[in-house]
Amino acid sequence: MIAYNKTWLANLRLQDEVEIDVQQGNITPDEFIAIQPKYLVGFYTPNLFVRIGLFLLTCVIVLFGDGMLSLMAASGHIVDGFGWLFFLGLLSYAGLEIIVNNNNHYRSGVDDASLFITQCLFIAGFAIMLSKNDGDSHYLSLSGLIFLLTLYFSIRFTDMLSAAIACISFFALIFFTWTKIVPGLSTVPFVMMLVTGGVYWLAQICGNRKELINYNTSLTIVKLVSLLAFYASGNYYIIQTLSAEMTGKTDPVPFGMIFWIWTILLPFAYIAFGIKKKDAVLLRVGLLLIATAVITFRTYYHVLPVDTALTIAGTLVLGIVYGVTKYLKTPKHGFTRAEPDTINSLDHLKIESLIVAETISHAPTAPVNDGVKFGGGDFGGGGSSGDF
Amino acid sequence: MTNNLYNKLHAEGLISDESFEKIRQKEAEPVLFSLHWEIKTLLYIGVLMLTGGLGLLIYENIDTIGHEFVLMLIAAICLGCFYYCFNNKRPFSKDRVQSPNSYFDYILLLACTSLLIFVGYLQFEYKVFGTHYGMATFIPMLALFFVAYCFDHLGILSMAIANLAVWMGVSVTPKQLLLESDFNSETIIYTYLVLGIILIAAAYITQSTAFKKHFKFSYQHYGIHVAYIAMLAGYFHYYDSGIAAVWMLGIFALSYFIYKDAFKEKSFYFLLLVVLYSYIAVSSLFVRMCIGIRDVAAFYIIALYFMGTAAYLIVLLINLNRKIKAS
Repeated sequence: MIAYNKTWLANLRLQDEVEIDVQQGNITPDEFIAIQPKYLVGFYTPNLFVRIGLFLLTCVIVLFGDGMLSLMAASGHIVDGFGWLFFLGLLSYAGLEIIVNNNNHYRSGVDDASLFITQCLFIAGFAIMLSKNDGDSHYLSLSGLIFLLTLYFSIRFTDMLSAAIACISFFALIFFTWTKIVPGLSTVPFVMMLVTGGVYWLAQICGNRKELINYNTSLTIVKLVSLLAFYASGNYYIIQTLSAEMTGKTDPVPFGMIFWIWTILLPFAYIAFGIKKKDAVLLRVGLLLIATAVITFRTYYHVLPVDTALTIAGTLVLGIVYGVTKYLKTPKHGFTRAEPDTINSLDHLKIESLIVAETISHAPTAPVNDGVKFGGGDFGGGGSSGDF
Repeated sequence: MTNNLYNKLHAEGLISDESFEKIRQKEAEPVLFSLHWEIKTLLYIGVLMLTGGLGLLIYENIDTIGHEFVLMLIAAICLGCFYYCFNNKRPFSKDRVQSPNSYFDYILLLACTSLLIFVGYLQFEYKVFGTHYGMATFIPMLALFFVAYCFDHLGILSMAIANLAVWMGVSVTPKQLLLESDFNSETIIYTYLVLGIILIAAAYITQSTAFKKHFKFSYQHYGIHVAYIAMLAGYFHYYDSGIAAVWMLGIFALSYFIYKDAFKEKSFYFLLLVVLYSYIAVSSLFVRMCIGIRDVAAFYIIALYFMGTAAYLIVLLINLNRKIKAS
């Protein structure tokens, strides 16, 4: 099912694992060099910069290729319909299969770009095909089709982005199906909680299965998305806004108390489970959602002015950080505050310096008085945009 | 599972007994779950919230607090941080100096930011420099360059470069460069060009004198972007006159120069920049040639050109990457 060579994928995992031990000094570089030919990886996987460059160039090729084909076919009136988009999508898909099977590209930028464009073309085609129906009724079939499409691509190419879209469209599919079958909206949040929780549980189980090891990264993304959706399906603000939009009335939400408890307490539950199970995804999502919970609460109840709230929250967070740092001075209960000793492929110091420059470089700016100001000059981006 | 892997590798004779023993030891120890990034992120958010909250508090109560107090507060923060840094710094060296602890860099950053805020506040509220706006940015710039070299901090160096650009009347970070810049003015184009040349020159002086060699990346990164964008802007600004050819020649000269250097330094990032910027230049020349043909055929030619050249560039990048790795 997977388009990539499975032995090579396994060997790649092996090499990655050994490389960590090389960096930690447990294995000598000579041994690593000896291991490489034995466990050969035949993929073409260049470094990040090459990948970005190849991604951009592939997009240029496909863009102009599709443009030229459309222009050539324009006289025959076949370009107007959605079928043409499917045709172009099939062409890029064929290109993708050739690149992956014959040239052994794996995460090289070329396959990333063609996969991305193929899916975009198909999704646009579906959207145009179904939008002929009146009203919102086509959302149901649209989300179903997108789900099937992205599911196929995430299974075949173990792609993280496809997996994320597949997961989201699946939730959308359930949502639209349920609202169509069952009248009234009061049951929807509970169904969504069940479904999103179920998907997380499934992803958790699948992540431990040996035969699915190639999908590890995709499953992590699925877990992330379903955790967020699990929270969203009980979040008071989301429920209230959605039901107001779909019924046109701004009534208070039924079972409001349950959803308030859900909104406030679930992030802490995530964090607690994350710490208990040492699960980085749960822990980080929990930390992120605390901010969401606070914002949700503040949209309905203005308890404190912003400045005092920020000051108190800042002091609180700094206090917690200080406490945790002190507590973990020596590692306790399997937790440490030390940096993980795997070296990042990018020297993070340089990246950090660029981020610093982007965020805090608004130095006192002197007003520039150099004549008349014209409109912004527009150029850049492919070298082709401004000319037509 | 890992254990199986190394058992196998050991049985195949790919790993020596010594290394295998080390792996065994490592696996006997419990795996630690690192909270490093969580703690750092929370620290960052906490500082942001606290400063934001305090700033708002002061802003709303400025009538009762008074500007003098605020200025003194900022000065106290700034001096305190610098005091800490000077007391804890490692001795100066021409090479890279590791920071003494993980919070040192952030404290230094806070010191420099508060210095900038202090000078800006002073100028805004009391007009200390009067209308000599140049001085108001020149002095912080000198201070920042001094701090960057003295404490060996790449982030501060980037801030100093940005300040140099502000002093010259332009902005340098890529985001602002594309958002706010106004390339229809000749002075701005020339200022950018001079700035780019200064930065690239600084990169090479850094390299050849072996004085803080690791600063070269920052200088070259900003220098190349600024110089290329200035020259492309110059080319489009003088599109219809003969001077456009001079700008084009400038672009190709710069490309040649950076290309040679990127190979010497084995830096694929700069090589990619050279290829992409030169590609934009060449493509604009080609499009200019085709646009003369007032026919739909011109579009076909251009489309074919882009498909062909982009495919060629993909092969070229792959080969260059191999060459850099092999050399």
